[in-house]
Amino acid sequence: MNSDITNFSSLAPIFPELIIIIGAIIILMAGAFLKKQASVGLAGITIALLLVVSLLIILFPTDGIILNGAFIQDSFARYMKILLLASSLFAIILSLSSAKENSLDRFEYSVLLLFATLGMMIMVSANDLMSLYIGVEMQALSLYVLAAMRRESSKASEAGLKYFVLGALSSGMLLYGASLIYGFTGQTQLDEIAKIIMLGDRSIGLIFGLVFLLAGLAFKISAVPFHMWTPDVYEGAPTPVTAFFASAPKVAAMALLIRLVMESFEPVSQDWRQIVIFLSIASMILASFAAIGQKNLKRLIAYSSIGHMGFALVGLSAGSLVGVQAVAIYMAIYVIMTLGLFAAILSLKNQNGYVENITDLRGLAQTNPFVAAIIAIIMFSLIGLPPLAGFFAKWHVFLAAIEAKLFLLSIIGVLASAVSAFYYIRIIILMYVYEPEQQFIKAQPELRFIMALSGFLILTYYFSIAAPLTNITRFVVGSLF
Amino acid sequence: MAIVGKERLQIISNLTRPTDERDKMTLTLFFFYLFSIVLIAAAIMVVASRNPVHSVLFLILAFFNAAGLFLIAGAEFLAMILVIVYVGAVAVLFLFVVMMLDIDFAEMRKGILQYMPIGALIGLILFLELALLAGSWVILPEVADSSVLPIDNSISNTKALGQVLYTRYVFLFQGAGIILLIAMVGAIVLSLHHRSNVKRQDIGKQVARDPKETVKTVKVKSGKGIG
Amino acid sequence: MVEAIVFLPLVGALIAGLLGHKIGDRASEIITSSLLVISAILSWIIFFPIAFGNGAEEVIKVEIMRWIEVGDLDLRWVLRVDSLTAVMLVVVSSVSSLVHIYSIGYMADDPSRSRFFAYLSLFTFAMLMLVTADNLLQLFFGWEGVGLASYLLIGFWYKRPSANAAAIKAFIVNRVGDFGFALGIFATFVLLGSIDIDMAFSAIEGAKNISISFLGAELNALTLAALLLFMGAMGKSAQFLLHTWLPDAMEGPTPVSALIHAATMVTAGVFMVARLSPIFDASTFAMSVVLVVGAITAFFAATIGLVQNDIKRVIAYSTCSQLGYMFVALGAGAYSAGIYHLFTHAFFKALLFLGAGSVIHAMHHEQDMRKMGGLRKKIPITYIMMIIGTLALTGVGIPGTSFGFAGFFSKDSIIEAAYAVGGPLGNFAFWSLVLAALFTSFYSWRLIHMTFHGSTRAEQHNYEKAHESPNIMLVPLYFLAIGSIFAGVLFYDQFFGKEKYIEAFFANSIIIVGHIIEAAHNAPTWVKWSATFAMLLGFVSAYWMYILQPSLPARLAKAMPIPYQFLLNKWYFDELYDVIFVKPTIRLGNFLWKKMDDKLIDNMIIEGLGRKVQLVTAKFVKLQSGYLYHYAFAMLIGIAALLTWEVVAGGLL
Repeated sequence: MNSDITNFSSLAPIFPELIIIIGAIIILMAGAFLKKQASVGLAGITIALLLVVSLLIILFPTDGIILNGAFIQDSFARYMKILLLASSLFAIILSLSSAKENSLDRFEYSVLLLFATLGMMIMVSANDLMSLYIGVEMQALSLYVLAAMRRESSKASEAGLKYFVLGALSSGMLLYGASLIYGFTGQTQLDEIAKIIMLGDRSIGLIFGLVFLLAGLAFKISAVPFHMWTPDVYEGAPTPVTAFFASAPKVAAMALLIRLVMESFEPVSQDWRQIVIFLSIASMILASFAAIGQKNLKRLIAYSSIGHMGFALVGLSAGSLVGVQAVAIYMAIYVIMTLGLFAAILSLKNQNGYVENITDLRGLAQTNPFVAAIIAIIMFSLIGLPPLAGFFAKWHVFLAAIEAKLFLLSIIGVLASAVSAFYYIRIIILMYVYEPEQQFIKAQPELRFIMALSGFLILTYYFSIAAPLTNITRFVVGSLF
Repeated sequence: MAIVGKERLQIISNLTRPTDERDKMTLTLFFFYLFSIVLIAAAIMVVASRNPVHSVLFLILAFFNAAGLFLIAGAEFLAMILVIVYVGAVAVLFLFVVMMLDIDFAEMRKGILQYMPIGALIGLILFLELALLAGSWVILPEVADSSVLPIDNSISNTKALGQVLYTRYVFLFQGAGIILLIAMVGAIVLSLHHRSNVKRQDIGKQVARDPKETVKTVKVKSGKGIG
Repeated sequence: MVEAIVFLPLVGALIAGLLGHKIGDRASEIITSSLLVISAILSWIIFFPIAFGNGAEEVIKVEIMRWIEVGDLDLRWVLRVDSLTAVMLVVVSSVSSLVHIYSIGYMADDPSRSRFFAYLSLFTFAMLMLVTADNLLQLFFGWEGVGLASYLLIGFWYKRPSANAAAIKAFIVNRVGDFGFALGIFATFVLLGSIDIDMAFSAIEGAKNISISFLGAELNALTLAALLLFMGAMGKSAQFLLHTWLPDAMEGPTPVSALIHAATMVTAGVFMVARLSPIFDASTFAMSVVLVVGAITAFFAATIGLVQNDIKRVIAYSTCSQLGYMFVALGAGAYSAGIYHLFTHAFFKALLFLGAGSVIHAMHHEQDMRKMGGLRKKIPITYIMMIIGTLALTGVGIPGTSFGFAGFFSKDSIIEAAYAVGGPLGNFAFWSLVLAALFTSFYSWRLIHMTFHGSTRAEQHNYEKAHESPNIMLVPLYFLAIGSIFAGVLFYDQFFGKEKYIEAFFANSIIIVGHIIEAAHNAPTWVKWSATFAMLLGFVSAYWMYILQPSLPARLAKAMPIPYQFLLNKWYFDELYDVIFVKPTIRLGNFLWKKMDDKLIDNMIIEGLGRKVQLVTAKFVKLQSGYLYHYAFAMLIGIAALLTWEVVAGGLL
């Protein structure tokens, strides 16, 4: 009945989160009392804050399980936090140039983004079903508001509301699953749950709880059939917010999913692997086909991200160290590709606003050769063509699946990948074969920087980051086994 | 020693009460079934009644019965919170919304028959599976030993909660606090409009007003006007 | 320093290629040329201590990066500089820098000069990669790199259909050789367990007696590997049977012909055989093949050169023939003599090509010698340069003394080495080379006579307007002329002097077969004079036929139409290949295209599948109705499905 907080230094593993909380509250207060124009400066402070926290995690890693087992910091958590902090950071940078058009030039945007990041960090570090839920709700609530932040747009409001209602449903599932697991094991702490499962049989209540928990998390990574919100929300939300949705929350939810199944449900891995395989196959197939019929660029990206989560789950379904490592690599590459793609989209602006439809990209190679080249590189990488980064991402997950003898899954994955090439290549053809119909305003320097960075990393992946990334993930994933 | 039972609560009560209080148990059991039956009936009526106002009223009834169940379990604090927060605030808010927005629920229900067959099928499957779950409710001996803490009657619920809220569960408690803060920020972001052409009262400005700045004495010659 | 030599051209290529349109043609020219000059100077700095000091005591190895690690294969990207490489570095970077400078003048009117210079520099980089290779894959990388650059440069004027066709031909013929080369690399890896040069060589001793059955015959494995590797060399160095691409490659700009198709790339095959001399030396049979193929090429290319009328084609066949000489040297076991000829040949052949370029430049891109003549007065400096080149090529010198042009020393070394081999093969090679020397002298002087002497046959205004090239084109000629005169005599000891000198120079970079060199030095006097005599005979007959009796060649061609046509049509190799390979391939291609691809794959599989995909897509798009309760319902169906799956498949019932 007492706390394990004996002194302040024992809280060292949670320092990054504490800094984010304090920073967010200071920015909230500053924003409330300063003039409206200060929001740009506050965005700058937010960027600095995220940078500082990332550096803190990299330079002063402190691992441990604290707060009565509710919070864990290990190398896996730190890796995933770096990924999602980077995503948040770049999402803010992406929003700078278009903040005015998207009504994101308010300090609340920074504050909510910080709170969402905080929630995700708690998700990544959750070691208890309760802290897991707190983290999930914290990020979800912030995201609902972010989606609807452009009040004058009915599409944005619709997106926010849909996201909210369906998110509530998924939270219900998550909670129901958590309560079943507590009911059948008497524990909420993840490692304790595993111990209880080891002692007893796999009872039906436990498995049902597992299914409901996984369904709730599948909603967060938008795996089929819990993906229905994704296209509508991606389309309706302001584009920088969509960029954020497509990157950081996916990382956090995937990290949480990995920790949950690897730490608590390792003894019943046969059961959860079945579910993950189902989600993976459904996501890959549906996304590949549904994306072909899309006309809106953001909806297309939504389906693309659904498909990529399916591919990432291929790695997890192997249930092995190699598989989890493959997922960790996949998420990093996915984030790089996604942010680059959104930077490219946000840089395409004319007097009528930002590009929305795929056909707006016609002849882009002639008007904006740089942006067109970046988009083409990213598209080829999303398809998974060697030697681009996307190829290696897929290669790792399929290798893990084949090692685990999941041949059918691998074959379906490769076929889905082939079908998905159709719509990616269609964009490239639109850009390079057709005549341009419109002119775009020159992109902001920060967007061009992000595009160039992303393009560079994708192109030179094998030579630049492949080796360090593989080594780091191998080490990092080791902390789960 | 697998204890298979319909109501976990009862088992807990049995474990925790002394044997000479058994006659009290029958009374407890009676109220338990009373509250449970009314609760389920009210919940069904929330969904089934045609008039939305009636739905909300049934919801309030359901809350009260749930509070009763909490009381039987010895969780008087939760029972009171349920009544105060859900009945006093949430349900009343619902009632306001339902009465203010004139939604024709009958109209909305029209389409429901179209989805009835498949909906019923899915519902049935889920129900069967959950029934399966209830039928197989097994408490492991280890679990029974480890997790069910006897309720300490020597201190009150409120005090017991207070002892752990800021110590053992401080992380979750503060996290929940941040979630509420986010909800507040979100509500303000989404609903607060600063209209530019609306005149607002600024008390500070009013108090600081000085007659010298605002009042000017002018001598007016008769017949000329202020000019 | 080694890195600078190798990577400066790449830097130049990247700057000119990527930024060419921004910084302008002039800047591209200056940047690429000056980077190459730096690279050339550095090469000489590396070369001199090796040539005149105490040789390459140790091999310089510079590791750039770890490259591939798969199973037993651990490759590092290492720049290796030993004596052999140092020679090649000097040749490649010097000739390349001179050609760069020359091209500034030669290509002055071309609209896409920065592209040209980017390709030239890219080629140089690939060639330097090739010669600094520390393992066979690196060698192959450079090998294909120069192939690519060669393709780009032959087809530089891509609007000309003939240039495109020639580029494709060069590429495809080289594929045949490269296929063998790749197989050879695989064989080496299987056989010797490594494709790192040092490690592979150290394993040769243990692999000498392994035999494998290949195409039903029992073959010594090492012989097979050597022959496969030699196949690559034959393709790249345009040896007999795979030679057809080289004359056509003259479609490219003349500086390209000088750099790639005379001085450097085509000698890659020679370099490769020398570099892998321990492997070849282990197989007598492979050595004999090299010897015979070289001898045939030297002879047969020289015969074709006798009757060609295009000035560049004459020199091209001459190149082909000289490469044959080098292979004879390699096949004879006198590797150093082959490299010696490679070294001297680079200077005088580049000189001849650039001189020819100067002539073509003067004549407004006229290449047919029948429309030249009498140019001596118009372009005197070019004339002198061409004479020097011809003297070097034909090997003018006095045997037994130190008087002679570059080609004299190297060519005589080869002829003596061929004689030293002895036996029927050795005699065949010796006499082929002597005859080839006769023909070489004849066609070289024929070229000089037809171009510069006599009265002109050029169109009036072309002849009137003929002018000497600008200095920027002439200065590189001077340098090459110096090389053509002195490169032979200066380095005789290092390449073909006493065995101990050669050993001091080459250290362990190539195999040195002492008894062949000994025997070559002790060859009878008539052998040493044979080549000189053949050269004089060729000169006299050319003088007689083209100066004294100008009508004789035409009468001769009429009197003997069959041999004349046979030579004029290059032994009918192109026609033969057309019937054997090209036509059947086109027929097969047409069948696959129309029947297999159009009908079966496109119509039935691709479009059929496409239609199916569209149907499925339409269904999936319909699912996304936009109604919230549909979405929620989908989630419930999902959870019901998952639960049911777990209950049924998980055996929970």
